[in-house]
Amino acid sequence: MSEGPPDPDAGHPRLEESQMWNVVSYLISGPVLFGGIGWALDRWLGTGFFVPTGILAGMFVSLYLVWVRYGTQK
Amino acid sequence: MSLNVLGSLASADGGGFQTPTTSEFYQPLLFDGPLAITRPAVVLMLSVGLIAWWLIATTKRAAIVPSKGQWATESLYGFVRNGVARDIIGSKDFLRFVPLLFTMFVLILVNNLFGVIPLIQYPTMSRIGIPIALTLVVYVTYHYIGIKRVGLGQYFKGLVPAGLPGWIVPLIFVLEVITFFITRPLTLALRLFGNMFAGHLLLLLFITGGQYMIINGGIGLKIAGAGSYVMAFALTIFEILIEFLQAYIFTLLAATYIAGSLSDEH
Repeated sequence: MSEGPPDPDAGHPRLEESQMWNVVSYLISGPVLFGGIGWALDRWLGTGFFVPTGILAGMFVSLYLVWVRYGTQK
Repeated sequence: MSLNVLGSLASADGGGFQTPTTSEFYQPLLFDGPLAITRPAVVLMLSVGLIAWWLIATTKRAAIVPSKGQWATESLYGFVRNGVARDIIGSKDFLRFVPLLFTMFVLILVNNLFGVIPLIQYPTMSRIGIPIALTLVVYVTYHYIGIKRVGLGQYFKGLVPAGLPGWIVPLIFVLEVITFFITRPLTLALRLFGNMFAGHLLLLLFITGGQYMIINGGIGLKIAGAGSYVMAFALTIFEILIEFLQAYIFTLLAATYIAGSLSDEH
């Protein structure tokens, strides 16, 4: 138990914890964005397979980005 | 579901139970139309006056040995300053963001708690415009400090983490832009709004439903009405917890976004 001023270089102890909330944003953005692009392509070309492809691609890109940002050692 | 059951049970003897709808949230007190002075506007102004009075009254004669009021204000301030701002933004830059974060936290907390305080009983944040206004402040702040720190071009370049294979960079870039400029503010505002809106509607349903069943129902419905009040009580306790939590999460995320704009990688 040492009293005194807190260590000025203590850094951001809770930042990583709170960044978990950002992961949610990424996981929403990806499927919605690429699914939306797929939907637009389907409307334009009269096909039906771009929506599921877009959603899957969006999930892939989201998960990949989350892994790159928060899952790897810097 | 239960809404319809209550309604159909009650409508046996004419009149019937009016389930609360979203129109309950629009309550003009003076005038009508876009310039109406509504109940949330009055509650919001009341909260600002109350907060200002409280903060001035408890810190005007600050003493080494604090009074109860001063102690409460200092604990709350210390919580936002140390528990949110310093821990997340870091000890180098956090101090200039403490006023913003503390103001947001107290304003949201008091307005949320107004949702269950008798006679006021209106969570201001259940009107979507008010969370949007608060979110805009956060939105402008974190983009401004990010762009000011590294410049506009570098800000957009910095959105994509370094060292990715070239073919995926455009995809990631689009995703990051959407996340930073649309999803983040949208979820920030909608989370606060949705929680307050749904909670208030739920309480309204249990309380008005219970009242209707007790007044108009037979013996069975009277018992069900009492049960409805037990639920209303339990949900009120739960709602108070949510109100604290939402004020905390809003402040926490605002601090996280600011911290992201201040650090090298977002």
